[in-house]
Amino acid sequence: MVNVFNVQIFFVVFRESLEAAVIVSVLLAFLKQGLGGATDDPIVYKRLYRQIWFGSFLGVLVCLIIGAAFIGAFYSLKNDIWAKSEDLWEGIFCIIATVLITIMGLAMLRINKMKEKWRVKLARALIKTPTKKLERFKIGYLSKKYAMFLLPFITCLREGLEAVVFVGGVGLNSPASSFPIPVITGLMAGVGVGAILYFFGASTSLQIFLIISTCFLYLIAAGLFSRGIWFFENYVYSQKTGGDAAENGSGPGTYDIARSVWHVNCCNPNIDHGWDIFNALFGWQNSATYGSVISYNLYWVLIISIIGLMLYEEKNGHLPFLKSTKLNELNPMYHIKGKKAKQAGLTEDEHELLFKEIKAKRSQEGKIVVVDDADEISSTELTALHPIEK
Amino acid sequence: MHFIYVIWLFIWAGIITAETHTFHFNVSYVTANPDGLLDRRMIGINNHWPNPTIRVKKNDRVEIYLTNFLENRNTSLHFHGLFQKDTNAMDGPEMVTQCPIPPGETFLYNFTVTDQVGTYWYHSHSGSQYGDGLRGVFIIEDDDYPFDFQQDSVLTVGEHYHKETPAIMKSFMSRYNPTGAEPIPQNILFNETNNVTWTLNPGETTLLRIVNVGLFVAHYIYIEDHTLTIVEIDGGYVEQVEVDSIYIAPGQRYSVLIQAKKSPQQNYRFICVLDYEMLDLIPSDLQLVSTNWVQYTNTKELPGSIGNDYKKIIESLHPAEEFNLIPLEKVPLYPEPDYTIELNFTMEVLGDGITYALFNGISYVPPKVPTLMTVLSGGEYSTVKEIYGSNTNSFVLQPNEVVEIILNNMDPGKHPFHLHGHTFQTIVKSKSGENEDEPLIYNPENATFPEYPMIRDTVQTNPNGHIVIRFKAENPGVWFFHCHVDWHLEQGLAITLIESPLITQEKQTLIDNHKNVCESAKIPVQGNAAGNFGSSKKSWLNLHGENVQFSPLPVGFTLKGYIAMALCTFVALYGVFSIYKYGMEDVNSDNIENKIEKLHKLLADCGETDESAMFNLNSNGEAVNQ
Repeated sequence: MVNVFNVQIFFVVFRESLEAAVIVSVLLAFLKQGLGGATDDPIVYKRLYRQIWFGSFLGVLVCLIIGAAFIGAFYSLKNDIWAKSEDLWEGIFCIIATVLITIMGLAMLRINKMKEKWRVKLARALIKTPTKKLERFKIGYLSKKYAMFLLPFITCLREGLEAVVFVGGVGLNSPASSFPIPVITGLMAGVGVGAILYFFGASTSLQIFLIISTCFLYLIAAGLFSRGIWFFENYVYSQKTGGDAAENGSGPGTYDIARSVWHVNCCNPNIDHGWDIFNALFGWQNSATYGSVISYNLYWVLIISIIGLMLYEEKNGHLPFLKSTKLNELNPMYHIKGKKAKQAGLTEDEHELLFKEIKAKRSQEGKIVVVDDADEISSTELTALHPIEK
Repeated sequence: MHFIYVIWLFIWAGIITAETHTFHFNVSYVTANPDGLLDRRMIGINNHWPNPTIRVKKNDRVEIYLTNFLENRNTSLHFHGLFQKDTNAMDGPEMVTQCPIPPGETFLYNFTVTDQVGTYWYHSHSGSQYGDGLRGVFIIEDDDYPFDFQQDSVLTVGEHYHKETPAIMKSFMSRYNPTGAEPIPQNILFNETNNVTWTLNPGETTLLRIVNVGLFVAHYIYIEDHTLTIVEIDGGYVEQVEVDSIYIAPGQRYSVLIQAKKSPQQNYRFICVLDYEMLDLIPSDLQLVSTNWVQYTNTKELPGSIGNDYKKIIESLHPAEEFNLIPLEKVPLYPEPDYTIELNFTMEVLGDGITYALFNGISYVPPKVPTLMTVLSGGEYSTVKEIYGSNTNSFVLQPNEVVEIILNNMDPGKHPFHLHGHTFQTIVKSKSGENEDEPLIYNPENATFPEYPMIRDTVQTNPNGHIVIRFKAENPGVWFFHCHVDWHLEQGLAITLIESPLITQEKQTLIDNHKNVCESAKIPVQGNAAGNFGSSKKSWLNLHGENVQFSPLPVGFTLKGYIAMALCTFVALYGVFSIYKYGMEDVNSDNIENKIEKLHKLLADCGETDESAMFNLNSNGEAVNQ
């Protein structure tokens, strides 16, 4: 069954398309709430509306094409590269997949946060004026006209390429035939959930659904991690036996007795049908090693600890025992991108200020100013643009 | 009356003319290069390798003082095929009839060769040691051969390894060799070397005694354009059969007559081909065909090498089937057996991850006391099978019984089985079983036996097939019965036959030299397989402390597995629970509306009214300007 439906790919595509759908729904919400809303200017609204949809669809399409090409190319190369060290490659890909899923999984549970983040990002993008006059002229005109196309296009493209990379990492140890179905169903599921989000907002039932899907995601990730370690141990054993073990099925002599925690002669995920799903979902092995069992437990302990830390930070604003540190600061990218400085800027009040500003500007100028990098706006600039009035 | 005196005269004459051959064998390492590819240490005698051929006559006495000059290995010597009648302690296998000879010790082998003539050989019986070179040919010459010949020559064939056998054993018996694949040799040895040229005089008949001194593989042997006439197998004369080639398994001997051409025009090739079917894996650079030459005249050139197309060569050969070789003496089929032993041979991976060979589920493990010494010290309890251990696969035979051994080979390999101290009649030899999962099991109901069955001491069993042998228990002592593929012997493919233990006690005693060697080796000379003894049967049956085989692999979940599974499940459930908790927080607390609500409250507390506040919440909960 894993030959036609790879569970990990489904969840990765689901998550990425969900985020893309969130972006589109936020944009549409902007439109609706007064960036040229239906009540103001129906023709412009319609135009912008179409731009958004067009941009997002095209973005998805382009990245699907790129993704298919990328994966196809990699597959033809793959067969040459790893014939001899198949176990080693499988193990590496499992670990990569685990890492990717771990990072993005928890974000799914903060859908409101995600929505909020995108509101801010898009809003910044909409009001920041380009610093160089040259830029303003070159890209300015086109981007002004097609802003509502470019934004979703670029963001969908970016999300989509992320998905392609993730799917590549997660799914490269499966046959090519296992890609199409989960990709399509993942897309449909993500879009569906995005639509629900748009129409009904973040509700409890949606949250439960998201929780359940995240639970599955992490069960899969834990299983993947355990599998990765298992592949590494299998590789070592196969090297020592000169490649004998794998061909002998599930019986005695196919595994290293010194490292075995349990072994049953049936239910082999590599050979027996049905057990491969069990393996995909939970990392089941008919021949478990110390490595595979311990790594499974360690992974869950790690997740539980991270969740614990995140919950603590949300309640108390900082990590336990480290009053000045936040979880974000542990991420190296945080320091690289210089987010610290920016974050010091916007509080929630300023969020609202920002959106108010957008509306005001829009109605003033009747057009939209857009720049490439929306992240560069700072608090001081914002207040300069729109001094607080009483 | 005269008649009796005449007979006595002859007997005395026979005894007086019987010689005593005394040898002093100093066993040590000798550097040699048998296959011309690699210098390595071989185990030689008196600083020379290959080892000498011993030639004696019927009824001679042989005394061999064997001194072990190997620095770090024990040794022993077994005389393959000799009956050792009433001298069981001289037979040679370690922990069966003697203690291993430690370095520095001297062991005396003292026996007479009665009732036998023919081609035999001697080799170390300490593990796979004879693969390192401690082997040689032992010939008992007859006074009156039933055929004529002018020359008497010896040919040994075998395989050669570049590594020494202790190193080979380590990687063979390891959990990283899960299929139990036997080690692959590096070369064939023809008379312990290769590229041999053998000179024949035209018109002469040569008796060529061929011995397979290898550890593992069988060989096909033939001479181009010459036929071989088989006259003797394993020391027993047979009705002459002319064949184009012979197939010889490890341990076996064939003596053939070769009729040299009367007016040869050229020289011929003498080919030995390894039976490739016995190898699990054939490396591409392995020479399986050994080309040697028969030279009639050195004016003509020797033909070139025949190449390495072993499959094609073997297909063209028609070696004799040993089963059809009728003994010259025409010994009739032995009567119905008094005792039948059924052995089912399987290979299994045991709890240490290593593949072992098992007879009826038991893999031979050497006892703590050599079995013969258990017999000699066992008193009245020596007829009780249990004192010999639960892992020596022992069977007690009564004097003069006809014993039948049925051996079902449930392994897809060819196996030559050898019985010490006897020759036996092979009354059934099945063909190969086609299906690995359904080996041919012997069914006595439809069996027919030949009138004059073939007699020898080492017989080949076909893959997934069976053999049935019969012999008479007329030789008191402890006799080993095992596969002569030495790798399988190391894996435990052996049984011990304790024949007429009470008579053995009567007629044989342990000589002082053997006792001293045992003391030096720190091995007890009395007691049961565990070294326990006492005055009661109970103490003799107490096998506490004996050597046993590894327990089988655990099938399914053990306690370890259950604990691991429970732990994983618990951790996963807890993880899922924490995800749930984290997820539910989103709905409850991370809501901007709540926070703005809080802000309003704060402002109100500080005295700010709604009017002075910048923002208000509209009906949607969104902040709007006043």
